[in-house]
Amino acid sequence: MQDQDTKSLWGDAFSRLVRDRWALISLIIVLAYSLIALLASFGVGVPDWKTSMGAEYLPPGGSLWLGTDLFGRDVFAKVIHGTKIAMSVGLVTSLIAIPIGVVIGALAGYFGGWIDDIISWFITTFSSIPNIMLLISITLILGKGLTSVYLALGMTGWVGLARLIRGEVMKHKEREYVQAAGAIGGGHLRKLFIHILPNVTHLVIINTSLQFQTAIKSEVILSYLGLGVQGEPSWGTMIDDARMELARGVWWQLAGATVAMFIVVLAFNILGDALRDALDPKLKGK
Amino acid sequence: MSKRILVSILSLTLFALSCSREQNFDEKVLNLISSQKIKGFDPIYAADLYSANEVGKVYETLLEFHYLKRPYELTPNLAESMPEVSKDGLTYTFKIKKGVKFHDSKAFADGKGRELKADDFVYSFKRLGDPKLQSTGWWVWDGKIAGLNEWREKNSTAEKVNYAEEISGLKKIDDYTLQVKLNKPFPQFLYSLAMPFTSVVAHEAVEKFGQEFQNYPVGTGPFVLDYFDNSNRIVYKRNPTFRDKFYPSEGEASDESQGLLSDAGKKLPLVEKIIVNIVIEAQPQWLNFQKGSADLLGVPKDNFDQAIVGGKEIAPEMAKKGIRLSMVPSLDVTYIAFNHNDPLFTSNLKLRQALSLAYDRVESNKLFFNNTAQIAQSIIPPGIAGHKKEYKNAFVDRDLERAKKLLKEAGYPEGKGLPELTYETVGSTVSRQQGEFFAKCMSDIGVKVKISTNTWPELVKKTNTKTAQMFGMAWGADYPDAENFLSLMYGPNESPGSNSSNYKNAAFDKIFAQAAIMQDSPERTALYEKLYEMVGDDVPWIYGVHRTTVSLNHGWLKNYKYIEFNHTQSQYLNVDLETKKELLKKF
Amino acid sequence: MTNYIIRRLLYLIPVIFGVSFIIFILFNVVAGDPAPLLLGKHATAQQIHDLREQLGLNKPLFAQYMDVVRSSFTLDFGRSWATRQDIYDMIRQGAWPSLTLTIPAFAISTIVSVLLSLVVAFYRGKGIDLFIRFLCIAGMSISSVAYILFFQYFLAYKMGWFEISGYEPEFPQFLSYVALPGIIWIVLSLGPDVRFFRTVILDEIYQDYVRTARAKGLGEITVLLKHVLRNAMIPIITYVVIQIPFLILGALLLESFFSIPGLGGITLNALNSSDFPVIKAMAVLSSIAYILFSLLTDVLYTLADPRVKLK
Repeated sequence: MQDQDTKSLWGDAFSRLVRDRWALISLIIVLAYSLIALLASFGVGVPDWKTSMGAEYLPPGGSLWLGTDLFGRDVFAKVIHGTKIAMSVGLVTSLIAIPIGVVIGALAGYFGGWIDDIISWFITTFSSIPNIMLLISITLILGKGLTSVYLALGMTGWVGLARLIRGEVMKHKEREYVQAAGAIGGGHLRKLFIHILPNVTHLVIINTSLQFQTAIKSEVILSYLGLGVQGEPSWGTMIDDARMELARGVWWQLAGATVAMFIVVLAFNILGDALRDALDPKLKGK
Repeated sequence: MSKRILVSILSLTLFALSCSREQNFDEKVLNLISSQKIKGFDPIYAADLYSANEVGKVYETLLEFHYLKRPYELTPNLAESMPEVSKDGLTYTFKIKKGVKFHDSKAFADGKGRELKADDFVYSFKRLGDPKLQSTGWWVWDGKIAGLNEWREKNSTAEKVNYAEEISGLKKIDDYTLQVKLNKPFPQFLYSLAMPFTSVVAHEAVEKFGQEFQNYPVGTGPFVLDYFDNSNRIVYKRNPTFRDKFYPSEGEASDESQGLLSDAGKKLPLVEKIIVNIVIEAQPQWLNFQKGSADLLGVPKDNFDQAIVGGKEIAPEMAKKGIRLSMVPSLDVTYIAFNHNDPLFTSNLKLRQALSLAYDRVESNKLFFNNTAQIAQSIIPPGIAGHKKEYKNAFVDRDLERAKKLLKEAGYPEGKGLPELTYETVGSTVSRQQGEFFAKCMSDIGVKVKISTNTWPELVKKTNTKTAQMFGMAWGADYPDAENFLSLMYGPNESPGSNSSNYKNAAFDKIFAQAAIMQDSPERTALYEKLYEMVGDDVPWIYGVHRTTVSLNHGWLKNYKYIEFNHTQSQYLNVDLETKKELLKKF
Repeated sequence: MTNYIIRRLLYLIPVIFGVSFIIFILFNVVAGDPAPLLLGKHATAQQIHDLREQLGLNKPLFAQYMDVVRSSFTLDFGRSWATRQDIYDMIRQGAWPSLTLTIPAFAISTIVSVLLSLVVAFYRGKGIDLFIRFLCIAGMSISSVAYILFFQYFLAYKMGWFEISGYEPEFPQFLSYVALPGIIWIVLSLGPDVRFFRTVILDEIYQDYVRTARAKGLGEITVLLKHVLRNAMIPIITYVVIQIPFLILGALLLESFFSIPGLGGITLNALNSSDFPVIKAMAVLSSIAYILFSLLTDVLYTLADPRVKLK
């Protein structure tokens, strides 16, 4: 049952995903955000956030959908620009963290013995230091800015996944199908990558969507600590600004960034769940 | 099951709510907020405002600034009178008040505080120079007291610092007479005797508590430490053995009408207890004050519009609650420094002038200081001798045309050829916004600015190693003397000294060295004014503003008057319990 | 088993070496010089040199590393550079407020999440499942800073239901101070918890043994509680236990915003002021706690699922 043709598995998953209305909407939202992010990074078809559009702290209205900030800049344009930052933070940190986590966790869980000892030592050492300390330290070393945020979040984000994968692989390698694959002469790598890993894909998928939204939220916290994105608007710096604006009745910057973030994080979460349901081979024929 | 847990949690919470702190109207309690943790109660480390404020409640100095008189005036505190100064300006003789007692403490054999003697000053002053202790206030006397540097040097390698050794500059004449000799004339010396660094401590306590001394302060001050948790709360009680010290009966002309003299002649301190809550975030500070659980609060920039209408008046809903507003110019200057170690700026006066002209101070005042600040023409703030009212800096009012012209003359027409500048700042929201504003101003003349935010230590490191290209800062007066500001431009003070922009100007240095050792006199003021103009015209910094301190206090708080050097303030404050009871009904 | 536990405890040695090395690289090699900061704005070059000498920062790097290792193994961290307090006293004072905030919040959120995820697993695919999941996910999709700002302003100040900020160490007074940050903690953790627990529970629901159990005629609830939950315990335990050591370190933002004098605030302060001894102490202590708790996880593995053997 494990040696399904992967193509039809994914094709099947996709068609199931499309049948799920909520998942489809979420997928569209994520794609829309990606498109906006892409357009914003080429500067095509998006409003300019740099120029002052009017007085400071204009409330929403007219062509300024979300009003203006302290410098009279268009808050809506800042939200759009923030989308680019957020999506790139999510994407890049996932690209760093997921492969590290999967490979490290799988190797440790599968081989056990001294490989597990060394990798566990590495994981333990790394994960025993509080995340926030590592985040701050790495951004301090690399100097502040987007690159540091990517690397800091990427380099700290793999630990949880590695642990999970290790635990799952430990469980799976004792299962009959893997034993059977071994009996018919499958090598270690084949057993690990062809037989076991597809069975833990759902963990990777869930983790990717978690990683995405964690990254987006961590960006806000790093900004709060003064370590975030520099010199351009992000949702983090916008919420950070709003920290003191709220009491004077300026809610639109907080609302803009929070709602933009809320929608995409929500979409990622729903999509993650739906993908899990669609991709999990065990759920087939339910 | 989950329901039951939820219910029990809820009921526990409600129970806890019902027994949370109630306002107590039997006792005069002052409720204050400190927005930073303090560095303990050892006076020799009280370099920051917050630590100084707490140290000043339990410890005392020889002199202090008069609570009511302005301009600031020194008055005797532990000293019986102002000192006698020898003709050459080198020897100061102090008479010390008799009958002053240290706080009761287990550091003393019988647990009772003993009387203060001249020896205690000699001991405490040596401690400031102790090479093993590395006081953050050593700069005050470094190289100034006869024999102190030699003693420090000699003991720096010794196993134990020898306090028994006599120093020619610090001498007890008799139990109530102290003599201090200086190496060279240092007219700012008297100000240093009003700083918390020079507070008098009891050597018994230092010896008994060792490294824990900072947690067990034994001073002569108006309050005794009762409870100390550095991240939560500090509680003081009135010192029962405090000497007879009285509320002043004269002050500025307007003090009478503002009720600041109604406690004149009363014995200090005026309250029984002080509670200082450590609240670091701006929002809880503001909400706690609004609720009446803090008596006094500085106004955060973003609450300004809520608190103050039209930049002058307190908002009506707060006035209704009896809240009062205090707006007083502070002795400081904000600036954006050029690093004069960077050849880009050293040799190019026109570039500096162009950037200064492009910076919009009027808008910055509006955005960041609610239009309450005064635009700085040069380095010395008004209220300090040396600030020249008539002086108008030609490169301070924004003029984009002139800026562009000067930029062209500087060799960078429309910013072409000029590398991107880096503006270093700390990572707080307001600092970042100020950086963004600076970058925006510069972009109007085609100059590109990159903003780099730092934690405070990083920024200090960058300025100390002379690698920060431009940076935004503010300087507040340590004492009301222009020397304290002008020394920031003095060549020999370059990084890691206080001249962190590494400005060098031979003509300035010569006059400064001359003025710095003169006694306060019209001649010295004339020299200060000359220096003031000199560093105005030469644009070593992009000057910002002189700020205004805006604070709010509740109607029941009596005798509040803004004082720049405010570590002794709490003993003068009073709480009117009747008014408090009445006013709290309106909350 | 005993051998395994002893071997894992001996792990402490290499891990502390590793942690000291990371700390050393980060804070002795890369980070800024603390001396000017400690001495204040008027420091002279001579003073900076002297202080560096006293702090051992002028030694060769290897000697500095050995200092870090020594203090990590002897647990003698000395005094904070920034507040000059004894670090043990700081930890002793700070642990209680942190724990009074994090332990109840953590316990409540874990219990509620497990129960909720059983409910959503039971009603999987139905409206109630969607609704609860939506609420949980929506709850975690809002920035923690936004919650803090809004709840503190609205619930504590406007409604007056909670203390705005501050702390009292005595029971039950502290409840009124930790209640609001605790609620925010719970709202933020329900989302990730429920969604993770639901996933592992659903994983088990489609295993063969569940079908067998159902075939035997057991009711769905019995199956869920007796079989599914038991087998889902491994990932749940892993997930829960590895969070515990970090509870001691408190909640950085919550403690800071609500002025709770816990270790989270102390850590944040130390990072902001380059207070290396405190950072070192927090890192080493947390790694010791971490190892002990991950050992506990492994032991619980065997108890929950005899198929896993500890070697």
